[in-house]
This record gives sequence, structure tokens and C-alpha cells, in this order.
Amino acid sequence: MANKNDKSRRKFLQKLGVAGASAVAGSALLLQGCSDSNKSSGNKVKVLTADNKLVEVDVAHLKPGDKIQDLSYLQERGREGIPGKKFVMVVDLAKCKNARKCMKACQSAHQLKPEMHHLNVLEMEDPVRDTSYWMPKTCQHCDNPPCVSVCPVDATFKRQDGIVLIDNERCIGCRFCVAACPYSARTFNWTEPKNSEEFAEVTYDMELNVPQKKGTVTKCAFSADRVREGKLPYCVSACPNGVYYFGDQNEDLVTNGTTKKTVRLSALLDNNAAYTLMPELGTKPSVYYLPPRESKG
Amino acid sequence: MKNIKQYRLIILFCLCFLAVANVNAQSDWPVPAKENENMSPFLFDDDMVLEGRISYENSCTSCHGTPGQDDFTPMAPPPGDPASDQFQLQTDGALFHKIKMGRGSMPKFEDAFADDELWNIVAYIRSFNKDYKQPLPNMEGVEIPEYSMKLSFDDNIDKLVVKVFAKNQPQPEVSIAAYVMGTFGKYLLGKSQTNELGIAYIDVDPTMPGDEEGKLSVMVKASKGFGRAKMNEEMVMVEPTIRKSAIEGRHIWSTDKMAPVWLKVSFFITVFGVWFVLLFIVIGLRNINKANKEEA
Amino acid sequence: MNETITKELSESQIDQDLLKNVNWGGKFKLWLAFLAVSLIICLYYYYQQLQNGLGVTGLHDYVSWGIYISNFVFFVATSLIGMLISSVLGLMNVSWVKPLARIAELVAVAFAMVAGLIIITDMGRPDRLLNVFMHGRVQSPIVWDIAVVVTYVAISVLLLYIPMLPDIALCRDKLKNVPKWQQKMYKFLALGWSGKAKQFKIMHNYTRILLILIIPIALSIHTVTSWLFAMTLRSGWDSPIFGPYFVSGAFVAGCAAVIIAMYFFQKNYKLKDYITVDHFDRMGRLLVLVALVYVYFNINEIIVPGYKANTADAKHVHEMLYGHESVMFWLVQLGGLVIPFLLILFRPMRRPLPLTLISIIVLAGAWFKRVLIVVPTQLTPYYPIQNVPENWTHYSPTLPEIAITVASFILVLLIMTVLAKLFPIIPIWEVKEEINHNKK
Repeated sequence: MANKNDKSRRKFLQKLGVAGASAVAGSALLLQGCSDSNKSSGNKVKVLTADNKLVEVDVAHLKPGDKIQDLSYLQERGREGIPGKKFVMVVDLAKCKNARKCMKACQSAHQLKPEMHHLNVLEMEDPVRDTSYWMPKTCQHCDNPPCVSVCPVDATFKRQDGIVLIDNERCIGCRFCVAACPYSARTFNWTEPKNSEEFAEVTYDMELNVPQKKGTVTKCAFSADRVREGKLPYCVSACPNGVYYFGDQNEDLVTNGTTKKTVRLSALLDNNAAYTLMPELGTKPSVYYLPPRESKG
Repeated sequence: MKNIKQYRLIILFCLCFLAVANVNAQSDWPVPAKENENMSPFLFDDDMVLEGRISYENSCTSCHGTPGQDDFTPMAPPPGDPASDQFQLQTDGALFHKIKMGRGSMPKFEDAFADDELWNIVAYIRSFNKDYKQPLPNMEGVEIPEYSMKLSFDDNIDKLVVKVFAKNQPQPEVSIAAYVMGTFGKYLLGKSQTNELGIAYIDVDPTMPGDEEGKLSVMVKASKGFGRAKMNEEMVMVEPTIRKSAIEGRHIWSTDKMAPVWLKVSFFITVFGVWFVLLFIVIGLRNINKANKEEA
Repeated sequence: MNETITKELSESQIDQDLLKNVNWGGKFKLWLAFLAVSLIICLYYYYQQLQNGLGVTGLHDYVSWGIYISNFVFFVATSLIGMLISSVLGLMNVSWVKPLARIAELVAVAFAMVAGLIIITDMGRPDRLLNVFMHGRVQSPIVWDIAVVVTYVAISVLLLYIPMLPDIALCRDKLKNVPKWQQKMYKFLALGWSGKAKQFKIMHNYTRILLILIIPIALSIHTVTSWLFAMTLRSGWDSPIFGPYFVSGAFVAGCAAVIIAMYFFQKNYKLKDYITVDHFDRMGRLLVLVALVYVYFNINEIIVPGYKANTADAKHVHEMLYGHESVMFWLVQLGGLVIPFLLILFRPMRRPLPLTLISIIVLAGAWFKRVLIVVPTQLTPYYPIQNVPENWTHYSPTLPEIAITVASFILVLLIMTVLAKLFPIIPIWEVKEEINHNKK
């Protein structure tokens, strides 16, 4: 390929290649834009950049990789949530093969000990067909959350985007929420959390709920930290079997974590006879389940 | 990959063996000859590799693991490591085709990724092969048009109207794909081709919720041969929807600030009422001493 | 009118008998030292819990409330008897309870105070206790419970103190051989009481207000405690009769506690003439009455969900009647409630010693009953317990938990015995009043 034309052709291809790359970068920026829309600039926060430098940056110019060192900013942001969104999850039980990649990703993201589950894949009995199926169970992020109702100190709360979070700077460890949750979705730091020394200096981010704190409650947060960056939750993107869909109910769009295919939420629910867990309790979960089917092989 | 040539024979033998044993996901997956010879219209550069890496980590790592680490998920058939020879010995076109079309437990990414994004992933996979030299298509005499697009919405027929031009001339037979940009991915509205007037129509479901003004964020891609164009636009296409906060109103589960009024009032009236009486009694106890002096 | 105190007693004899116990004998000091030492030993385990977190207990994610919460419920329950005896029966002018009113009020104060304290041992972050006051959330039953427990302790203390004013004045005037600080304390607390008619009028008025006020507060303290459970969606707790169920159970535990205290004071303080066999007989009958009501509620609690047998309830009821909890369940129901109830129906069983022994069993049963209310519901969650350590499918309290429980009981004994040493345990002026009244 050593002729004169080669050089010019290469150049041309290069131009196109750059165009392609910038197109994708453009879409990433769009997501950044939508998550930043609630922030007013002129508000500065301390940030630890990817190359370990402590700098002050404007809130509007935060990058996804930056580690924010400002507790009060993180607390305020965590309680406020993302305006205009209502996050939902759809779990396709027919696809779950108990690979447990979701559990692993969740436990490593949230610094959980092996017996602590924000997300637990259960083997459920199917009394009608006398078989069993796998059911990943997260926090249901109820619209009538019994756990939030009973909290004595506003440590657990529901945000405008529907996510139920815990503030571990506030929690007194009474475990009333653990007792009140009919889905057993909550877990407690009975002893010193995993790698607590390593995380001693890390600024607490309630959206990730790390570092975990001894004597406080923790639970699934719909990966509020990832969602803010326009990324799918840890469990959703870790699944190899296309079990999870995650998205915004207001947009009526959910995206599959494995295939990245985006579908209409209403159609997905209607076509597959979706249900929620124990609807008779009136908790109004934000997690929908598509029923398990006979394995196709 | 350094000794790839020395081991090629052995590996080929192994591959044949695996194919016979029917446990390998790659070797018995036929790719149409035309697809097999398909070549990337883009030069694989660092930018493409970077973009491809993001897509790979989001969509592929869960099964194939990190390339070169052999940490793919044990499945039947095994998905394999993309850095391994069973991947790298395939043509770019074959990789592209397999990612795009999927098979069995390998999902079909046709709807999730546009062609250029699929090529990004191929570029990323190739970045693990030091011996790889990108085969380039023969571009001699090919002129690549620069497309521009105009988008509009016809609310009589609920269709998105895409007009494609190159040098102010309408372009026929251009493939058009239109997406709605969701928070986490893009939803395929539809695919079409421009007619002789350079116009393509794509159906829009009017029941799709827009924002407060009925706007949807639309992304349209046009491609024909090596000619490509892409466009993002916010367009009024559907009914406006008011996005309510999930915590509107006063509920038992609201924060203390938003507690139901009846509850707050009755709680504080009761507590302060009782403590007022207690305080009255405690202060009133002074009267016992006073009673002494009065009568004395 | 008073049939229970039959003996002819002179006023000076009464003063002498009832003030006798107010002193610091060697035996008492030994008892105090014993209590203090055991308390310190037990508190060492609490120190351990503070250091290592609640992980030192047998609690886990599926039984996150254990015997600490049972303790709390038990203490709140027992303290309710103060309201029943001094208020309900007092307002109805049931005169035989008058000599017992102070014992009941003492039980109420001691148990309610310790209930307020013991709940802190259940907190994962006791260092953040102030958050409840800084960020208190008016919708949470815990906030209601704290408000109402604090109020109940305050009313109970006032209700113990105000009717005791004449007796404190008596202590101030008659007890000259007690330490100086004690004399000063009496002088301060007596508020210059001199037995004037107006003073009696003020005292009667205030006592009456408090006696009326304490009825709704006492009912709500235990109703709210029951709501800690009933306000959840868990089968076994999700029951609208939990309020009255808890209140009726509270009277059983309280009656038993008062009977035990009566026996203890009668024997140690030689008060045979004031706490008579007849008092025991009547308290025994009261226990029969409240136990009967409690049995009725127990039947409701089991039969109604058991009959309908919806999925989760059926599992819970089955566990209780035949499953893992059945041994404790039947021991508590039969041994701790039904059999004692049947026994006390017979007059000989209402004599002091047998009644006290039965009361001890009833009180122990009442504690285990609280464990049965708290724990089994959590062991039958709606979704199966999986992917957790094997021992998370049941619950057994650990040594620190038991030690801290023992500490709470020691604390109750400590408060009661110290108060009983500082003040006369029988309302002297009321006894005198009754006897004078009878003479006329």
C-alpha cells in the first residue's frame, strides 16, 4: 500500500474517524448536561482529580471521574436528587440464570461484606408449576415507602427522582426501617465495615453510600452516583444475561444493561404481563418484574 | 501476540478440535462472505479505541471480561476472550457482523449501536493485537459526499421528515436511522431510506411522553457507502407532559418538614398541652410553702 | 371501710413501723454493694458493645430487633401498673389499694426510667442520640414513643412525690439520726409542709389532675410501643388489636411485679400489719381479672390469622403453634399465663408465698412473651432468607446481650431499693387517715 494515494486516503479516513468519535462524545456530553441541569454555577467545590490533585472547581464543570471532597455539597446534592426524573427498574425473570455478577458488582461498589446484600438473587418456589426460578431482589424504591415512614430522624428519605436513599451521617441505627421493610431489602453494619481503615479518609457520598459506617443501615440506592453521570447502575451493567432494564418512567424509556437496547417501558410491561412484588401491601414499588417462563433450553 | 505466527498452527489445530467438540462460540459461527470481507470506513485511531472501550465496558465486559485477562463468564458455549486468537484471527467484517447480529446468548447490538459505534468496538478489540494491521478498502476514484440534513415534523401524519442534501442537491437512497435520546440509551424510532427527492419519513408514536413543551431529543444518522452524517435536535413532536416530582404533597413518608398537617398539629398540641399542665403543677408546688406563711 | 388493715394501731406505732425501714443498715449496704458490683460487671459488656458494635449480639439482618427491644417492651409494660392501681382504682375510691399505691408507683417509676435507658442499648449509634431531638420526625412512632415515655416518667415521678409530701415532712421531723445530707434532702423536698388544710387541698388537687392525666398517657405509652410493631407491614405484627393487646398484657406483668415487690417489702420491712394477707388475696383476684382479659386477646391474636391462613400469616402461626417457636410459645401461654391463672382461682394459692411464686413465673413468662412478640415475626419474612450465614435463620442472644439485660433488671432493683430506703414505702398519712376514719 505504498503509493501516493495511500497518504491522502488515510488522511481522509482519519477525518471521518474523528467525526465518528466526536459524535459519540457528543452523546456523552448530553447525558452530562442533563444531570448537571440543576446546578448553578459560581458554586465551588473541592475535588480530587484523577491524578490525585486537590483543586477547587465550579460545580458546573465537574467531571465524572472527579472525587468530590466537599461533604456538605455531597449531602445537599444527595438529598435533592435529579429533577424531572423518575427512575424505574425492570427485572426479566425469564432471563435470570443466577450468574450473580450483579451481586458481585454491587458488593464491590458499595464496599459490602459477603453476607450483606443490597441485591440478593433468591431461589423462589413456583407453587403453580412446582419449579423454582431465580429472582434478583433489590430495594423496591417504593412510592409509599414503609421504611421512610418510620424513620425517626429523616435519615432515610425519598427524593424527587423516586430514589429512596440513606444518609449515614444521620442514621442512629435503630433499625426500625429494617423491621418495617416487607421486602427485607435493608442490611445493617453490625461490625466495622469492610476495609474501613482504607476508606477512613474518603468523603462520604450518600449516593454511593461509601464509606459504610459501623452501626448504620445500608441498602440499594439504584446506584444514584452512576445515574447522576448518566450511567446505568452497577448491577444493571454487570448482568451478562440481559435481565435488567433501567430508565426514566417520565421518558417511558428503559435501557437493557446487557444489550444496551432501549425500549418503551409501557410496551415492555404490557407485553410481558409485568407485576410488582406484593402489590396488595400498597407500597407501590418502582421495580417491575417480568414473569419467569419455562426455560427454552 | 508476539509469537503468533509460531503458534498459529497449533492454535488452528486447537480451534478445529474445539469446533468439533462444539463448545466454542466462535469457530462454528458462519459469517456471509460479503460480511466477512466488509471493512471499516474509519481508520482505527486512539479516539475510536477510547470510544470503543466505553461501549465495550458497558455492554460486553459482563460476558467477555476484560480483554487479555481470560476472565470471561463461564457459559455454554464459552464467550471467549476478545484478545485471544480465536477472535483476532477473524476479519474485521466478521467481528462487526457478529457484534451487530448476535446469536444465541450473544445479544444482537444492531439496535443499540450505530455502525460507527460498532466499528469503535472492533477498533478496541484490535488494540489488544500488536500484530494487527488494519486492512483498508480501496478508495481509488471514490468520492465521499458530505451530507447535510434538515429535520422537520409533520403533525398531520405524525412522521419525522428527514431531508438529505449534498452540495444543495437532494440525495436519494440514503439510509436513515432516527433515535430518541433517553437518559441511558437511544431508542430507535425507525429506519428508512430517502426517496428520489431526498426525503425520508419515520413514524413517531404520538403517545411518547415529551418534555414540558412536547419536545423530544432526536438523533438522526444518515449513511450511504462512505458518506455519513449525524444530527441532534430537540423537536416538538408529541404531547407535552408535566414531569411531577416523586415527593409532591404531604405524606406519612415525607420528611418532617412535609409531614401531614393534622399529624403535626395533634402531636405538638398533645405534647405541649401535657407538659404545660406538668409545668403548671411543678410551679404550683410553691404554693405549699406559701400556704405556711399565709396562715402563720 | 378499710377491711384489709384490721389491727388496732396507734399513730405513734404506725410512725414507728413505717419509718423503721428508712435507714442504711449494714445488710442494706451489702445488698447495695452486691447490686453495684454486678451492675459494673454487666456494664463492661455494654462497653464491649460500644467498642465493637452491635455485632457482639446475636442480632443479624433478619432478626434485627432482639431481646433489647423485648426488654424495652417488657419494662414499659410493667410500668403501666402504676396507672391501673393508683389512678384507675384510686379514682374509683377503692380504698384497699391505698397502702399499695406507693409500691405500684415505685414500680412504675423504676421500670419506666429503665425502659427509657434500655432502648439506648439497642441503638447502633448511641453517640447520635441527640439526632432524635435535632432532626426528630413527627411521623415516626419512635418519636412518639420517646415523647410519651419521657412524659410518663415525669408524671409518675410527680405522682410518687406529691402524695408523699406529708410523709417526707414526717421524715424531716422524726428522723434525727440519719446523715446530714439526707436531712437536708427531706427539708428541701418537704417544701415546708406543715400539714395545713390548704396544703392538703393543693396536694389533693394536683394529685387528682395527675391521676386523670396519667390514664391517657399510660395507655398511649404502651399503645405507641405496640405501634412500633403494628405500624409495619410484617405478618405477626400487622394487627389492629396490638394496642389493647399490649395494654392488657402490661397489666398482667405489672400486677405480678407489684405482688413480688409487696412480698419483698412485707418480709424485709416487717410490714405484716400494713401489707396484709388480704392485700395479697385481692391482688391475686386483680391478677385473675387482667390475665383473663389477656388470654382473650391472645386467643384473638392467634385464631384470627390462623383461621384465614393467608400465606405469610399461616407460616407465622404455624411456627408458633407447631414449629421452631412452639416450645417457648406453649410454655409461655400455658405455664406463664393459663395455669397460673387457673391456680390463682383457688383461695389458698392467693396466700402471700404461693401467690408470689406464681407471680415470679408470670413475670418471667411475661418477659418471654415479649421475646415471642418481637422475634418470630422477623424469622418469617415474606421473602426467603438466602445467601447469608447459616445462623441467620434463627436467633440466639449472646452473653453481652444477656448481661446487658441483667444489668437493666439490676438497675430496676437499684432504683426501687434506694427509693424504698429513702422514703417510707407505705403512705403513712393515708393509713392514719383510714384508721381514724374507721374509728369514727
